[in-house]
Amino acid sequence: MAEDPKTPYEPRIVAFLCKWCSSAGSDLAGVSRIQYPANATPITVPCSGSVSPQYILTAFRKGADGVLVSGCHLGDCHYLEGNYLARRKLFLVKELLEFIGLEPERFRMSWVSAAEGAKFAQVITDFVADLRPLGPQDKLQGQRP
Amino acid sequence: MERILDKGRLGAWVAALADWTVLAPAMQDGLWAYRPVAGGEASLTLGHPNTVQPPKGQSFPQREVFFTFDETPDGQPRLTPLVPRPGPRLVFGVRPCDGQGLTHLDQVFGEEAPDAYYQARRGTLAYVGLACNSPPSRHCFCTSVGGSPFGEAGLDVLMIDLSDRYLVRALTPVGETLMTAGQGVLTEAGADDRAEAQQRRLAALAHPQRAVAAPQAVPERLKAGFGSALWERLAQPCIGCGICTFLCPTCHCFDINDEVASQSPVCGSRVRTWDSCQFPDFTMHTSGHNPRADLGARLRQRVSHKFLYYFENHGVFQCTGCGRCIIACPVGIDIIAVVNQVAAEAAAMPPADS
Amino acid sequence: MIDPEELRTRARDLLEGGQVRAVIGYRRGSRGWAAEPVVITRPEEAQDLVWDPSCVHNLALYLVQDRRRRGALRESTDRPIGILAKGCDARAIVVLMQENYVQRDEVYIIGLSCESSGMLDERKLAGAAEGIDPQALEAVDFEGDAFVLSSQHQQWRLPAAGVMAERCLECRNPCPKVHDTLLGKEPREQERRGTASAPTMSDPFAELQRFEQTADSAAARWDFWSRQFDRCIRCFACRSVCPMCYCEECMVDSISFTVTPDTTAQEKANRLRWIERSASRSDNIGYHLTRALHLAGRCIDCGECERVCPVRIPLRLLNTKMERESRERFGYEPGASVEVAALLASFRDDDPNDFIR
Repeated sequence: MAEDPKTPYEPRIVAFLCKWCSSAGSDLAGVSRIQYPANATPITVPCSGSVSPQYILTAFRKGADGVLVSGCHLGDCHYLEGNYLARRKLFLVKELLEFIGLEPERFRMSWVSAAEGAKFAQVITDFVADLRPLGPQDKLQGQRP
Repeated sequence: MERILDKGRLGAWVAALADWTVLAPAMQDGLWAYRPVAGGEASLTLGHPNTVQPPKGQSFPQREVFFTFDETPDGQPRLTPLVPRPGPRLVFGVRPCDGQGLTHLDQVFGEEAPDAYYQARRGTLAYVGLACNSPPSRHCFCTSVGGSPFGEAGLDVLMIDLSDRYLVRALTPVGETLMTAGQGVLTEAGADDRAEAQQRRLAALAHPQRAVAAPQAVPERLKAGFGSALWERLAQPCIGCGICTFLCPTCHCFDINDEVASQSPVCGSRVRTWDSCQFPDFTMHTSGHNPRADLGARLRQRVSHKFLYYFENHGVFQCTGCGRCIIACPVGIDIIAVVNQVAAEAAAMPPADS
Repeated sequence: MIDPEELRTRARDLLEGGQVRAVIGYRRGSRGWAAEPVVITRPEEAQDLVWDPSCVHNLALYLVQDRRRRGALRESTDRPIGILAKGCDARAIVVLMQENYVQRDEVYIIGLSCESSGMLDERKLAGAAEGIDPQALEAVDFEGDAFVLSSQHQQWRLPAAGVMAERCLECRNPCPKVHDTLLGKEPREQERRGTASAPTMSDPFAELQRFEQTADSAAARWDFWSRQFDRCIRCFACRSVCPMCYCEECMVDSISFTVTPDTTAQEKANRLRWIERSASRSDNIGYHLTRALHLAGRCIDCGECERVCPVRIPLRLLNTKMERESRERFGYEPGASVEVAALLASFRDDDPNDFIR
């Protein structure tokens, strides 16, 4: 992509955030007035374990440049083991996406607690910085009518 | 018009057809498929038995966008029709069975209710056929279903393989134009060329093929055998996939869906895609009832459409005997055996009270 | 090698004795040498059963069909259904039992050991020997570490390894672990390996490794896979042939959306459709990746999806990739045991974590 270096590409991120930790963490980043890029569209889910691989594929197919799944730290899951199950399942999603040749930087997972507003901001900031040089994700994206 | 084409000069003929996008069978990833070829390729040959998929998709693509829809800034719905306007395309190496298949598609999409999308694509297409000196597959049965290895139906030009050269015969005005364009490459055909072609034809017709028994009686017998328990038994190994219908040169059932790309603001497209009578949702009613709930009923539909219903409507079988559905079936369902068994059972039944 | 006569006798006895209500097996089809699946219910039909290198099909699929059929007819039964099962088929049955789709006492498993052989890959036949025409063959048979192929006028004896399906070369369990009766023997490791000059077995995941070596960058892999996915015609043969694809409603169909008089046009238009019917690249990728993920920890590598694909998409690569990751990272082997928790319904403290921020 021939991008004007002065106006870097603004990636679109879909962020699946668990209701109990990461979503609250993003709220904390907001109320603490931490500055971070506005590229992520948050979607609150009950638990990182409830994120079906189908959600991730669909986000990419609808044109997301990056997908983030964020949940509670291990041991802190509101449902005790949802994040453990998510970790295993989404590891396979990550491996499969890389296997068919999607850039590995485009899918990311993080553990962000309700008290970690600063970490949430950092995760998004890093993600955006890693996605910018990649330009638009056009591999999985469907044809626009 | 009949001419001779030296086998090594096929590429030169293609080069002379500069107005056309030319497609010819090529092997890629282990598959014979029609692919665009550039003119002048000295290596261009027609070495295929037959392509995995028939040329059906050229005029009836698997996905056809009818129109797109969206909202204007003031919230009004807006439709943008998308009738295709393809340039002239020429398909080389079409086997006579597939040529025959094209005539069925022309009937379905051209006669009672002409289909604008099909017509737009078909109008700029021409087909150069390649006669079969011997059956390309052991499951060929064109002669049972009204076809011929030297059949000319649906084609604009027929090429006949005479070992080192082809006899090229124009069948339509478009075919004559194609051959006129190749004037520098095509040479005059002599009486001996014609005699040799005729010999090949007779040899091809004499070549044994698998056969549908007593084809003229098949429609009536299938009708009598509608309630036969054989359908379910013959469909026993069936896995319910769409291979037989999607590889068929004549299957033309389709589905129309709105593919909604965005709900707000609304935008998307109305799309026609191939459908298959073998799929579980093909006849699914909105109530949840499915009149063809089992695989036996679906096999009966596929076979009866080709050998009974289409015959009743158009006076010809819809099957062209290409054998693709037999070769590619993962579990060996064999349309010849199915027709023969059901017809034989019906023939042996005592006639119904009249 | 198993004598087909032994197999017929066993099936006949089971049907005669009423121990099973039917036997799922293979018989000779009408289109030449290839076997086709059959369900027999009468003892005299047992004589039709065959066992040769064309018995490629995973018959566990027909357990699924049997359950569906009985469900639709509300038919109950007190007798099991008999099924011939190679090593891979038996692993599939184990997964079906592990997932409670099939109960142990509903099936009578007649295990068939492939011993030191395997199944023929029809696509490897072309060019495998001088003058061989796969279409003209009339029979294929096992003979030690060779396949004997016969046409009307000629016979070929080919080293099996040269024309055997890749998944058979890579197979680690050619002999069923779970069965009610077993025909053939558990092969010794040495027998399976063959000799150094004529190996009959590949390393596990050999084909996957070869792919990863040739396509060693994201760009090369995308180049390869985009071409494969573009070819898909969405005939769903891979799904239809798979015994693990038993979902009542697949995400590519939308068959359980019931319309009542109260259903609004809006509801109809907006019903959930994850993947459209269009054979477009994006939809094809959505379909194949979802399938690969849904098969993770469940695919037992019978290779049927790849065999039946009319446009030759190398689907085994996707499935064996998931299988290898599951084995190496999670120590999980699909189809090994009915008792263990399913791959994605379990976890370990030391599952990979370094990819998470």
